[in-house]
Amino acid sequence: MFAFKVARRYLLSNPSQTLLLIAGVALGVTVFIFITALIAGLAVRLTDQVTGNSAHVSLQPATRVARVLAGPDLPVESVALVSTFQRQQIRDWPMVIDLLRANPEVSAISPQISGSAFLVRSEAVAPVAVLGVEPQGIDAISRITPNIIEGDGDLGANGLLIGVRMAEELGLGAGQSVLLRTERGVERQLTVRGVFRTGLQSLDERVAFLSLQTARPLFDLPEGVTNIEVKLKDPQDARATARFLGEATGLRATPWQEKNVGLEDALKAQGQTGTMIQIFSLISIIIGVASALVLSAYRRRSEVGIMRAFGVPGGFILWVFLLQGLLIGLVGALIGCASGYGLCIWLESITRPDGTSILPIAPRQGGYAAALVLTTLGAVIASILPARSASKIDPLEAIQQ
Amino acid sequence: MTNVIEARGIEKVFHNGDEETRVLKGIDLTLGQGELAAMVGASGSGKSTLLSIIGLLLRPTAGTLSISGERVDDLSERMRARFRNQRLGFVFQFHHLLPDFTAMENVAFPAAAPGGGISRAMRTRARDLLARVGLEDRIDFPAARLSGGQKQRVAIARALMNRPDLIIADEPTGNLDRESADRVLDLMREVNREEGATFLICTHDDGVAARCGRRLTLSDGRLTSNVRDPGGFS
Repeated sequence: MFAFKVARRYLLSNPSQTLLLIAGVALGVTVFIFITALIAGLAVRLTDQVTGNSAHVSLQPATRVARVLAGPDLPVESVALVSTFQRQQIRDWPMVIDLLRANPEVSAISPQISGSAFLVRSEAVAPVAVLGVEPQGIDAISRITPNIIEGDGDLGANGLLIGVRMAEELGLGAGQSVLLRTERGVERQLTVRGVFRTGLQSLDERVAFLSLQTARPLFDLPEGVTNIEVKLKDPQDARATARFLGEATGLRATPWQEKNVGLEDALKAQGQTGTMIQIFSLISIIIGVASALVLSAYRRRSEVGIMRAFGVPGGFILWVFLLQGLLIGLVGALIGCASGYGLCIWLESITRPDGTSILPIAPRQGGYAAALVLTTLGAVIASILPARSASKIDPLEAIQQ
Repeated sequence: MTNVIEARGIEKVFHNGDEETRVLKGIDLTLGQGELAAMVGASGSGKSTLLSIIGLLLRPTAGTLSISGERVDDLSERMRARFRNQRLGFVFQFHHLLPDFTAMENVAFPAAAPGGGISRAMRTRARDLLARVGLEDRIDFPAARLSGGQKQRVAIARALMNRPDLIIADEPTGNLDRESADRVLDLMREVNREEGATFLICTHDDGVAARCGRRLTLSDGRLTSNVRDPGGFS
């Protein structure tokens, strides 16, 4: 294509200006990629922090609501009342577990009996959220046994695992016994088998683990469970999977996002800020390319004029300038992608003593394809105005200048 | 002899706000195939305007213009551009070569740009033309590195590239020293004689006009004199 040859020749005729222009585009793309990778990395880190030790989808019995009763023998005002005394439970939980195991999105399942209680040791009393779990599945949702700092993770018949803060509050250690009193007044003497430190205040201060079998009599649930906690391979699929599981099981399925609306809002705001920075990067690229090509079109007025005088079609001249924009955008974007990736890899390699990166950056999520396409497209768009003005140069005016 | 130019009652009026300037006041002109004609006149006489109208770079306000028997004054812009490309050649006072291209590429440009590239045939023709104007050793030279006279010779070769019906030259020697000017004029006469190319040359230089086969004199927008073989050279 001859227009391509002319465009390339024009760009090469002033290498320093072309290099500066490409460097400007590359810099804008580097910023674009850095911001995209940083926002993605930040979202992953925050999501990991929130979902790492909690369920991605929680399944609970459907909410019972009062409903109007209808029938020929009943007055219109009759309603079925909801018993608040009867504990809600999932009776057929083994079937639900089988269904969950068949789902390829699910990575871990934990049927639980959860309830409120107090731990009493002589005069000291502490409220506690009790989680009755299958002993072999204690780490399914939260990493408890790897974080045990005293004792072990064997729950046994009357065993109890508590967090380090609660242990300090009650002066408890592994091997010591403590009285657990449920919200319904059922009491049982239990033995602390282990003390864990997860680093999460909510777990370390207020949660106690015991086995499902130990929890059943305490919460008057001889068969069922109160909830089933599910981990997914990709936490971002939680909404869709929760919807599917809710429909499949008839249970109330809550994705983690609904329990962390604040985080979702923060991630959205963060994403929007990133998008704004990306848009401004693109705008600066477009302005840079457009101004350089406007100058180029002006400088080459007489050359373009002679082409027009010789009857070279306006479309050919349009292509010459559009292709210059395309080449600048494409080369600048490719260099910018490479330098952006390099920058992200370098920043990721700067780590804290514990091995985690100081900047939560995700080099593989730099939006390279978007940067390449948007920048190239932006540069072409930027060249439309100078290309159109060049293609409309009056040959007579240009020659007489 | 076939007429290459047939102009009848050409008028041109320029408007500048309410002000109206009549530059051409009814020009009748014919130029035959293979003629080498000079157009002379004082500054402001309208010769450059007439040349631009004949070169289809400007539209007349009134009158009709035919080139090689084809009415061209009422063509669309696209058709005028195509006509300029295929049927006319231009040589300007300032050569207006493309400085980033070689002599050969400059010569081939009018054929290559609409055609999508320089074909083997175009390359051969461009080389032949450069040899014709005495620049066979400058074929792959960048235009920016040629001397003024060499550039003008490249411009003549470029004007001949598409084998035009008419070559319009606006002060082709005006920017050259005497020796280079003579060589350029000799070249145009040679091309005219040997290839039968028709030239219309606009000039201030009486010496140039005297060496052309015909001398057209413009004064105050009118063709006041039309002399054949003014110097007895043709």
